Amino acid sequence: MSPNASDAVGRAERRDTAADVPRRRRTPVPVRQAVVLSGLAVGAVVVSAASWAGTPVTVGNVGGMVVVGLSLGAIYAVSASGLVVVYTTTGVFNFAQGAVGMYWAFVYWELRVNRGWPAPVALALVVLVLAPLGGVLLDRAVMRRLRNLPLVLQLMVTVGLMVAFMGIAATQWQGDRGRTVLPFFGHTGSFEVIGVTVTWHRLITILVAAAIALLLRLLLFRARLGVAMRAVVDSRSLAALNGANGEAVSATAWAIGSSLAAVAGILIAPESQLVVDVLTLVVIDAFAAAAVGRMRSLPWTFAGALLLGVGQQFIRRFLSFDDGFANMHEALPTILLFVVVILLPQAQLRARGVSAQLARRTLRLTDVKESTVGVAALFMLVLAWTGGTLPFTDAWSSVGINRGVTMMVTAIIMLSLVPLTGWAGQVSFAPLAFAGVGAVIFAKITGDTGSAYGLVLAAALTAPVGALMALPAVRLQGLYLALASMAFARGFELLFFTQTAVIDPNRGGRQFAPLSIGGWELTGTGRGYLLALTVVFGAMVTGLVALRRSRWGRRWVAMKDSEAAAATLGINVIETKVAVFVLSAAMAGFGGALFGLQVGTLNVLQFELLVGLPIVLLLVVGGVSLPAAALFGGVNTVLFIVIKDRWDYSWLSALEVLGPGIMAVVMVLNPAGAVAEIGRGFARFLPWRADARAAYAAEVAANREPEPGELGLSRPFTAADMVATERALSVANELARPGHDGAAAAMTVERPAP
Amino acid sequence: MTRGDADSSRARVGPVAPVLELHGVRAGYGQIEVLHGVDLSVAAGEVLALFGPNGAGKTTTLGVCSGQIRPSAGSVRLMGTMVNGARPHALARAGVCLIPEGRGIFPNLTVRENLRMATYSGVAYARVEERAFEQFPRLAERRTQLAGTLSGGEQQMLAISRGLATDPALLLLDELSMGLAPMIVAELYERVGEMAAAGLSILIVEQFAQSVLGVADRAAVMLGGRVQQVGEPESIAAALGGAYLDGH
Repeated sequence: MSPNASDAVGRAERRDTAADVPRRRRTPVPVRQAVVLSGLAVGAVVVSAASWAGTPVTVGNVGGMVVVGLSLGAIYAVSASGLVVVYTTTGVFNFAQGAVGMYWAFVYWELRVNRGWPAPVALALVVLVLAPLGGVLLDRAVMRRLRNLPLVLQLMVTVGLMVAFMGIAATQWQGDRGRTVLPFFGHTGSFEVIGVTVTWHRLITILVAAAIALLLRLLLFRARLGVAMRAVVDSRSLAALNGANGEAVSATAWAIGSSLAAVAGILIAPESQLVVDVLTLVVIDAFAAAAVGRMRSLPWTFAGALLLGVGQQFIRRFLSFDDGFANMHEALPTILLFVVVILLPQAQLRARGVSAQLARRTLRLTDVKESTVGVAALFMLVLAWTGGTLPFTDAWSSVGINRGVTMMVTAIIMLSLVPLTGWAGQVSFAPLAFAGVGAVIFAKITGDTGSAYGLVLAAALTAPVGALMALPAVRLQGLYLALASMAFARGFELLFFTQTAVIDPNRGGRQFAPLSIGGWELTGTGRGYLLALTVVFGAMVTGLVALRRSRWGRRWVAMKDSEAAAATLGINVIETKVAVFVLSAAMAGFGGALFGLQVGTLNVLQFELLVGLPIVLLLVVGGVSLPAAALFGGVNTVLFIVIKDRWDYSWLSALEVLGPGIMAVVMVLNPAGAVAEIGRGFARFLPWRADARAAYAAEVAANREPEPGELGLSRPFTAADMVATERALSVANELARPGHDGAAAAMTVERPAP
Repeated sequence: MTRGDADSSRARVGPVAPVLELHGVRAGYGQIEVLHGVDLSVAAGEVLALFGPNGAGKTTTLGVCSGQIRPSAGSVRLMGTMVNGARPHALARAGVCLIPEGRGIFPNLTVRENLRMATYSGVAYARVEERAFEQFPRLAERRTQLAGTLSGGEQQMLAISRGLATDPALLLLDELSMGLAPMIVAELYERVGEMAAAGLSILIVEQFAQSVLGVADRAAVMLGGRVQQVGEPESIAAALGGAYLDGH
């Protein structure tokens, strides 16, 4: 059986799949997309006509709209192009792009305004030196380690970075006084063209964006470094085989991305306010522009950005909406992001790094018995501790009880993400939106009677909202789902909770009567409520533990590993996905109702996207697939509040943001999650965990240095031992030195005869 | 050293150090060791064909030679210098040119941009383009086309032209024939033969291809992570069937 050439050809697998072949430059627009887009256009026209403010259409008005819109769009374009350059080159979508831009804008303020440096010097230092250095540092310290992490963690770490940057800026420049950055050449520096006033700042902004577009184009298509940056996108290893240093290429991309973020931040600061949240969110709007460019086309990104800027100005100048929709111009990027992400062709949605999603080791699943024991222990602890039965502590004051309630409510809302993100792998940054819906429903239906049925109804009626979120999720995965959920949360924040019919801002006082269950009256801040919440939390954890071991739990985990494989097994992927979103929304809605009962009065600020991010992050830090991580997250949420309260240092002032952010970033070093690590150390002390004791003993034995003479006798002599011994004695290196070739050759046992 | 000396005649055995020399190389992926002590050398101007079935460790051996995989033991020498643990891009700039299996091209770059990537070896772009288009005129016609839209054979030509145009000290070819029609394989190996005649040192890895025999000076058989036999191409080819069947 002598193999021959045609055999070899026949046997050879074809490695190049359709996905590696690029799309031709001219893509035919599918009919369906065209229909949807024209539908949207018609919708936009109808909305415009219905809400026309009556502003006269004059050259001045239209010209003003175009100038301001273009300059705003230019800023989006600069920020988004930084995002695109980094994403295409390194595969990491940097959610922190906006926060990085915000941070450097503050640094610029510090130098320019606070220390009075001349503008060109401050600009050059920030944009050309500090920001690129910061980018390289980020790459070295964090981003490089992200490459082999599962996608969920990649997303969470960059979101953590965003939150951390916000925390750092809020700590460094506290909100105790107003800060403003003047436009270049001041407010009055302007000129007039055909009746339209153009400030120098806006002209500069537009010119800067144009220059950046030109430079990026030249870099990416003319310079070898740029060609290498694009080559790395296709194949990092092949680029290295060509002699391109992949690490240097990534570092360059991060430097450029960070610098562009800084430019965007500094340009937007005079147009917006120099406030951490505001500035971060404005630059986040650039995500929509990047989505228009499918995260990789710079021309389309620029087009999307300009459309966004002009569109926002159009709404602002020519349309008028009633109070509930007053945020419409602010919501436009969110709406655009949501629509574009949903419209993106499926082929483009191939998440990167799928192969890296393998779990390092199999986690042992908790069983219902263990969970019941743990939950009972938790209840006894809360009972004894709050009642002052434990030594060294008194009964908890109302402040302490309230913090305990916050902990439990947060933990319950966090639990909603365990099946969704932890098991089914669906990233969601919108748990607080669902919680808000639940709270509103509870308040509307039975808030003032205190009936417990209201809680059940809140859960049941929030569930359909979860199904709404599941609609895009059926098609989306990974990054795109994360973006959609962010848009979802921000959309609810800007357009839903602002409705007077939903949350009436003028209604003060408590909206929730004490809860009455079987003759018990529970106020939202009493000890009885805390104990009841502990019981509820315990029941939910145990329920989840049972669910994870059920058919549904297995389906969700299977779907997370591979939707295609799950489908070939006969699992209805759509049904399975919708089910987990519905479950998650119901849990979050339930938690939200409990939260409403605690705070008494609802307002828009409680359910903002940015408020929800630390909650998501702390759960992920705990280990998103474990119900116990929710308790970890709840405890930490309150811990940060307690620390801040106990020690009145100024550097702790933003701890509730800074803490979760930094903890999430540190996850690059320990992707398993804190609870899994704690559990691993703790399990061997449980009487029934003989397996954990055995595993621990084996680990200790494996890490023990072998005694001399022991190898080969009491312990098998493995290849690894041999290599380790050789390395420890540096035998190979000694012999491998030039001049010792003979000895090195003699070492080789099997040498083929030439 | 001897790099890029296109006019030198083929020196089979000489006093100079071999271009590539592996001694007792052990390497693998994570916990799994794939190479259990590989010894191999390629002399200056020599063409060595390395045959072996799936899983023998051929590609891993190339991975070690090109710096993609760090050996856990043994030594890798390039022109007498120990290069254990050198990074791939450093080795590429030092003159090691690996054309990986599959298509060693960047599908989303144009043909010209692909050739541009070859200039990291220190050869001017004009010269790279001139040589590549001279050898494969078909590439010249498609210079502004995206490489991913080329046919399989053209893609492989583009991949090889990097080896042709950059005067490498050592060319490593991994399964050049994979997935290509026999006629195209023959054409490609004709070019490889021309490169060899110009004095290039080449290590060719194939499962087996008749065309390789006409090019190779020596051949080796790899099985189970070790080099089992080295010899004249013809005798190795004759013994190959037996070696595949015998297993380890």
